[in-house]
Amino acid sequence: MKKWVSVLAMSAVLLGTAAGCGNGDSGGDAAAGNSAGQSGSKGSGEPVELTFWGDWGGEGQKQFETMVDAFNKSQDKIKVKYVLQQDMITKFLTASTSGGAPDILFWDRWRTSLYAPKNVLAPVDDFLAKDGLNKDDFYGEALKELSYNGKLYGLPLTVDARALFYNKKILDEAGVKPPTTWDELEQAAIKTTKWNGSKLEVAGFSLGDNGLFNMYLQQAGGQMLTEDGKKTNFNNDKGKSVLEFWDRLLNKDKVYKVGFEQGLGEGTDAFVTGKLAMQYTGPWMLSTYKKYGKDLDFGIVPPPVGPNGDKGSVMGGFGLVIPQGSKHQQEAWEFVKWWTANKDNALLWAKTSLNMPGYKPALEDPFFKDDPFWKPFLETLDMAKIRPAHPGYSVMENDGLIPNLQLFQQNKLSADDALKKSQQRGDQLLADNEAAK
Amino acid sequence: MSSIGNLNKHQARTAYLFITPTMLLFFAFTIIPVAMALYLSFTNYDVVSRMDFVKLDNYKRLLKDDLFWTTFKNVAFYSVIFVPLNIILSLLLALLLNFKRFGVKLFRTMNYLPTLTSAVAAATVWIWLLHPEFGLVNNLLGYIGVTGPAWLSQTETAMLSIIMVTLWQAVGSNMVIYIAGLQGVPDYLYESAKLDGANAIQRFRYITWPQLRPTTFLVSTMSIIGALQLFDQAFVLTQGGPGNVTKTPVYLIYQQGFNQLQMGYASAQAFVLALAILIFSFINMRVTKSEEPVV
Repeated sequence: MKKWVSVLAMSAVLLGTAAGCGNGDSGGDAAAGNSAGQSGSKGSGEPVELTFWGDWGGEGQKQFETMVDAFNKSQDKIKVKYVLQQDMITKFLTASTSGGAPDILFWDRWRTSLYAPKNVLAPVDDFLAKDGLNKDDFYGEALKELSYNGKLYGLPLTVDARALFYNKKILDEAGVKPPTTWDELEQAAIKTTKWNGSKLEVAGFSLGDNGLFNMYLQQAGGQMLTEDGKKTNFNNDKGKSVLEFWDRLLNKDKVYKVGFEQGLGEGTDAFVTGKLAMQYTGPWMLSTYKKYGKDLDFGIVPPPVGPNGDKGSVMGGFGLVIPQGSKHQQEAWEFVKWWTANKDNALLWAKTSLNMPGYKPALEDPFFKDDPFWKPFLETLDMAKIRPAHPGYSVMENDGLIPNLQLFQQNKLSADDALKKSQQRGDQLLADNEAAK
Repeated sequence: MSSIGNLNKHQARTAYLFITPTMLLFFAFTIIPVAMALYLSFTNYDVVSRMDFVKLDNYKRLLKDDLFWTTFKNVAFYSVIFVPLNIILSLLLALLLNFKRFGVKLFRTMNYLPTLTSAVAAATVWIWLLHPEFGLVNNLLGYIGVTGPAWLSQTETAMLSIIMVTLWQAVGSNMVIYIAGLQGVPDYLYESAKLDGANAIQRFRYITWPQLRPTTFLVSTMSIIGALQLFDQAFVLTQGGPGNVTKTPVYLIYQQGFNQLQMGYASAQAFVLALAILIFSFINMRVTKSEEPVV
């Protein structure tokens, strides 16, 4: 009998450890979110603790913490804590189902159309109306990107769009002015390109990112999706004029070479090292490029217009959203409002992080208005359009369109075939990834 | 008699007791997830809002999904080149470094080093080495008057570059396995073969190679599984481009599941991949077994 007792005891211990392992794994994530909820309900004297998730580490984390600290000091009812989540979206998914959702989420806006239909985000329309915030103070396109089925799911924290960066020294040496049209862009690129035998030494204009097709298509007067937003709309003259423009630049004028910039990170960036005269990029590169001071004399102009004078750039950026699972949505809203809908705070954020805030009154500040680097972006943002709000849009672009554009650039597909294949594949991907499915 | 029976029973009980923790963990973290994935592949599960049974819809969609089959073609091409080269190179290295000479351990270590580096970090360095204008590889080619291609950006060379990089990283560990295998071959076999007048090539063909059969089976199986599950290097080096020539099934499954939240469909894809791995491992087993050892 004694033996049995010891055996039983031993297996109980073993079972306990095994079960403990299992629990420990899933319990860890939930704890952070739940602790905020419990402490909040203790009493009115204690401040409500909120959890704010983001996936910015390093410098970005410090910038977030600056804002969080400023908010915590500004009042004593709510206390926010920033938690860095490297794999934020995956964590958020599991947290949404297990009840450990944070109270505020740093949100790449284009994801809204994919996540809002799943009821994991809380609409903020009522909060907005109650506090009497004016929607016109925000970029309409940014609000559109945060909306789904007529409901608004957050407020824009940053806005960005690509504009044309040019190296002043290279352009001056070649005797060209910053381009304003496709033709001028082509001429400027030809004049600034330098070949040494079969080696490309200075590329006139970067054609490295096929994902910018959307931007060129707008400049050609086109739209990525049809009016009803269900099908692709680039297999036409407008799409073809973009590909013909690329083909001229790449294969006839030879202002670029496929793979020229691949893997060149900060420090070896072709634009910094003077190996690239012009490129499309966004305000997020400003702080990097400014670091080089006199060694990199550059300017920025809004994107050149297409053959019929159409303007185009793609707006992107981040927002703050409140998960449906948050137990303190009202307090979370206070924090979101404080940060994104207050001129002083939005400006503090802008100056801390060198991002353009989504709140227009903050952009009226001389910090932006009178700065030669920010001004062209303000102009670009006035006409920039968001990516179409379709849950399958990014898949369509990445799997349907870009591979065919790459094959086109390498002369493996004609312009007509590339557009036709992109349309077929793209339409199928859009249908397969619709929210209803 | 009865005491022996008791002893056996007692031993069996203790044995079960000892394997219980492992089996529990195995059950909780392997069997249950696999069974759940199988079930999920018949649903439209999206992690957060729904999990309805959709019968064979996911599998029907799979049949029409060109991209999924393209990724299979890609890894098939990869495997056909990678697996044999992996075996040949690591076996050659092992034969070379199987001597007991001064300094040989240093060379073994050096050949093993690439395996120790993180796949992602190593791939990042290779991006620089393979850069068309400023990379070391093309600069060296430039000295002999050859204009090297844009290795990672051209459809012709992108997959070959990935094969090169993964080989560089894989041969080290397989070399170690082969060295262990070589040291398990009894010396008397070689001695008697020498007495019978067998030359070095014959000794390799009729003694070393058959004796290494279990080792080769291990190495080839692991390579095939690894090849079909190729992900990190392809992701870092080329992001599946250009023109989808380096996109792999695992990359697609990840994207479908975590980016598009279509876990049901992703599970179906994962099951087809698992099935493919099973089939190829089985074929490999047959091929390796057909060569019976002489001794």
